[in-house]
Amino acid sequence: MSTKPGASRLGPSSIPARAGIGLRADHYDAVLETLPPVGWLEVHSENYFGAGGKPLDYLERIRAHYALSLHGVGLSIGSTDPLNQRHLAKLKGLIQRFEPTLVSEHLSWSSVGGRYLNDLLPLPYTEDALDHFSKRVVQVQDALGRQILIENPSSYLQYAASAIPEWEFLTVLAERSGCGVLLDVNNIYVSARNHGFDASAYLRAIPRHLVREIHLAGFTVNRFAGSEILIDTHSRPVDPAVWVLYRQAVARFGAIPALVEWDTDLPELAVLVAEAEHADAILEECHVQAA
Amino acid sequence: MSRLRELQLGFAAAVLDGRSGDFDHQILARGLSGDRRLQVYRNNVALNLHGALAAVYPVVRRLVGEKFFQYAAAQYRIHHPSHSGDLHVFGEHFPYFLETFESVAHLAYLPDVARLEWLYHDVADAARHPALDLAALAEVPAERQGELQFQLHPAARLLKSAFPILHIWQINQDDDAGDASVDLSEGGIQLLIIRRNNLEIEFWPLENGEFTLLQALADQQDFATACERAMAAQPTLDLPACFSRHVMHGALVSFHSLRA
Repeated sequence: MSTKPGASRLGPSSIPARAGIGLRADHYDAVLETLPPVGWLEVHSENYFGAGGKPLDYLERIRAHYALSLHGVGLSIGSTDPLNQRHLAKLKGLIQRFEPTLVSEHLSWSSVGGRYLNDLLPLPYTEDALDHFSKRVVQVQDALGRQILIENPSSYLQYAASAIPEWEFLTVLAERSGCGVLLDVNNIYVSARNHGFDASAYLRAIPRHLVREIHLAGFTVNRFAGSEILIDTHSRPVDPAVWVLYRQAVARFGAIPALVEWDTDLPELAVLVAEAEHADAILEECHVQAA
Repeated sequence: MSRLRELQLGFAAAVLDGRSGDFDHQILARGLSGDRRLQVYRNNVALNLHGALAAVYPVVRRLVGEKFFQYAAAQYRIHHPSHSGDLHVFGEHFPYFLETFESVAHLAYLPDVARLEWLYHDVADAARHPALDLAALAEVPAERQGELQFQLHPAARLLKSAFPILHIWQINQDDDAGDASVDLSEGGIQLLIIRRNNLEIEFWPLENGEFTLLQALADQQDFATACERAMAAQPTLDLPACFSRHVMHGALVSFHSLRA
């Protein structure tokens, strides 16, 4: 038996219960040159939908060293349009090629009537929407032949029609569809501040066994006429209040992989690595306390 | 129509088309009005789509300035809404849009500069392909060569412009230290844009006959027809040298016989 020349060498097949970082194009060379001591890497699936070129080439080389998670932002699972089969097929191809440990998408929609808004838009939390979203997750999982994780989004509005709290919607969704939960504690904090609910109570309402991954990121505060709204910009360090919430999440959910995300005003790689080390330190501390 | 679909269509009309109607009645106000909350999503959508366009068209952006580029991007997404969850394909129709956009009608070269930027972006993530199988080509009997069809590398594109767009592109790169101006009367250009195996992208200015040959092959004309067209376009063309250059340098990567 011979190995096909140029066949990809895949690195670790499982993600450790440690912090990882979001891999962005500006850091490709720095990651390959320094191989930073982070537990794993996550990429946006859509950035690798091309047929070839630098993104796939780098990902192949980097995957040889790190376990991987594919995080989608464009599948528009909550849309009432038919599922985008082309998008799904590309995602499936990526999964086959890179064998990620985790594959995730969002509790949101981003297209209707064939038009894409290319943003993570809020769903009304109703029985209808829950039924629709659960069926769509089952469809996606069947097409991909694997479990996916669904992430709670940051939101800037609530619908009058919503009758179910988001934590309950997410829990029932996971139980019905068999998906896992990607809990973004920054998004919980942002939405809690924007809508006036208790972020810690949100954590306590999510059953322990459903959570497979945690996200951490930075937000910005916009103020208008005496009111403020928090925007999930991924442009800053993790906020101290979000670190507090992360400690609570670790205490509740135990040692699970956490990811530091940064997309806008991307700093040097070392800054992300330091954030990941901070997350690891919290994880270790909580475990020492538990032991 | 389901209530969920009705809500999504209402949301899209309010955010994409500015037709809010009474959609903000469906949103809890809590300190900020429903419309102010929708404005956050309008901003996010605009930022994401503008960012996708700016990433593909840095030279156009530099030529028209950031403020005007934002305006053009906003107009573009009204006329050519995004149809994919993959933002990399969003800018595909921008060159065509610029051609019909009256505010830039005085910048006649701008659509072709945009075409060059789109092709640069397009070849960047095109597929790899091994080099042409020379041994197999050598086995084709001479009398059958004329009926062969050749294929361009998946990461190769041809572009012809009446303007010196390569020169314009070059002096608008961040690291350019040359002249800051281009004389439009220096004339047009015929280009092959190709991503090499080392993943670097190259521009090859072509003579008339070369360009005609490759264009005919790209249009799936057989080799005999392509050669005739190339010689008609440039009677002085050294056809064998031209053909072998594009085979050896990887622009032509495969062939098949129509009759086989």
